[in-house]
Amino acid sequence: MNKIKISAKNIDVFYGDKQALFDVSMDMYEKEVTALIGPSGCGKSTFLRCINRMNDVIDICSVKGNVSIDGHDIYDKSIRVESLRESVGMVFQKPNPFPKSIYENIAYGPRIHGIANSKTDLDEIVETSLQKAALFDEVKDRLHQPGTGLSGGQQQRLCIARAISVNPEIILMDEPCSALDPIATAKIEDLMSELKKEFTIIIVTHSMQQAARVSKNTGFFHLGKLIEVDSTDTIFSNPGNQKTQDYITGRFG
Amino acid sequence: MMKDHIVSAYDAQLELVNSNLIKMGGLVEDQLRNSLQSLSNKDTSFAEQIIFDDHKINALEKEIDALTYKIIAMRQPLANDLRVVLSALSISNDLERMGDHATNIAKRVANVKINLPDAPTIEIVKMGEDVQFMIKQVLDSFVKKSDKLAIKAWDSDVNIDDSYLNIYRELLETMAGNPDTITGCSHLLSIAKNIERIGDYVQNIAEDIHFIVTGQALERKSEKRINWEEINQ
Repeated sequence: MNKIKISAKNIDVFYGDKQALFDVSMDMYEKEVTALIGPSGCGKSTFLRCINRMNDVIDICSVKGNVSIDGHDIYDKSIRVESLRESVGMVFQKPNPFPKSIYENIAYGPRIHGIANSKTDLDEIVETSLQKAALFDEVKDRLHQPGTGLSGGQQQRLCIARAISVNPEIILMDEPCSALDPIATAKIEDLMSELKKEFTIIIVTHSMQQAARVSKNTGFFHLGKLIEVDSTDTIFSNPGNQKTQDYITGRFG
Repeated sequence: MMKDHIVSAYDAQLELVNSNLIKMGGLVEDQLRNSLQSLSNKDTSFAEQIIFDDHKINALEKEIDALTYKIIAMRQPLANDLRVVLSALSISNDLERMGDHATNIAKRVANVKINLPDAPTIEIVKMGEDVQFMIKQVLDSFVKKSDKLAIKAWDSDVNIDDSYLNIYRELLETMAGNPDTITGCSHLLSIAKNIERIGDYVQNIAEDIHFIVTGQALERKSEKRINWEEINQ
């Protein structure tokens, strides 16, 4: 087992008066894929968004508890949210490229974070990011055309390329394949098995089969609580909790 | 109590696998009972009927196979559902083999034209009845999804192995004492072996049921081991 990369302890999240997460504690390991599953509204995305403080942008949202990355509390006052988000990238359900060229989509982050100093540096970052996202060969001849002109699956890989362009350590994926067809989904999954060699990946997915295929550990959320977290093998073959079993076998309701 | 699936057609498919397995188990029970009866009564025409009946068991195995493939393709079962579906394939395969062994007994009854010695025949029928009880036990454990009953059925096999060994010894002695009995006793040895094998398949099924219920492989050793030294004397 790899070392703990992210450790969440006793996380409560409130949206105004409404509590969305209840005392969630979970460790996620370096250079592994951790899947978060559970029915809609169970809190898995809310939990994911605690890891890069995306919940900060929602005024009525408050987070209690502790999230640490490599042992450092990310909610500490000394932490700059911008640098946190540099090391914790995110990919969303719907591909959301900027309305700019493919090149600019990727160059934007390194430029604003001051990672690239010259045009040559930027060119190199754009190329390697696209290569790591398994997109380079498909777009190398049209880098200056709009990113929005790509197919859905390509756009999603462009968003992944954009996320990794700033050298993050962690990539959060919130249902990254739910808007994609099976072929584009397979490409993303194939890509994930490459990316995990370099990055720690946390994925929220509604596809049980996807969680079973891509992840090493899986956490099951229900009604804002983490019901069970275990190796993916165990969760999908012989889970310890009846609620987990009911959910993954399609008996919830 | 297991909750229903959200998709009720899935429940219906799993229930069909379940009921087909129980039906198949019942047919195998009948097949062995009838074979033993034809053996005790030396009833060749009944034996012919039993041989014919074997196709019903084979047909059910094919039906269960087709259904489980369909469920895997359509539903991608997980956890306990996956164990049930995979075990159903293995259980139906074992039941089909048990049916073949029972049918083999009837084949000998139907086709062997010489008299089989009475005393060992009675012993063999007795052993067959014990195996029938094991089949009943293991089917009960399947219906009730009870790993405890499955273990009971599994454990019973040691008695069958003992009986088989005694019959084996007895038949050797009979043959040694009177070479005229060699042909008849050889047939009986084969029949005894058929029955003993059925007991082994019951153990396989008991292991599958234990796996369905607990998610764990059944790790168990027989209490007694065959004493080869004694046999070699």
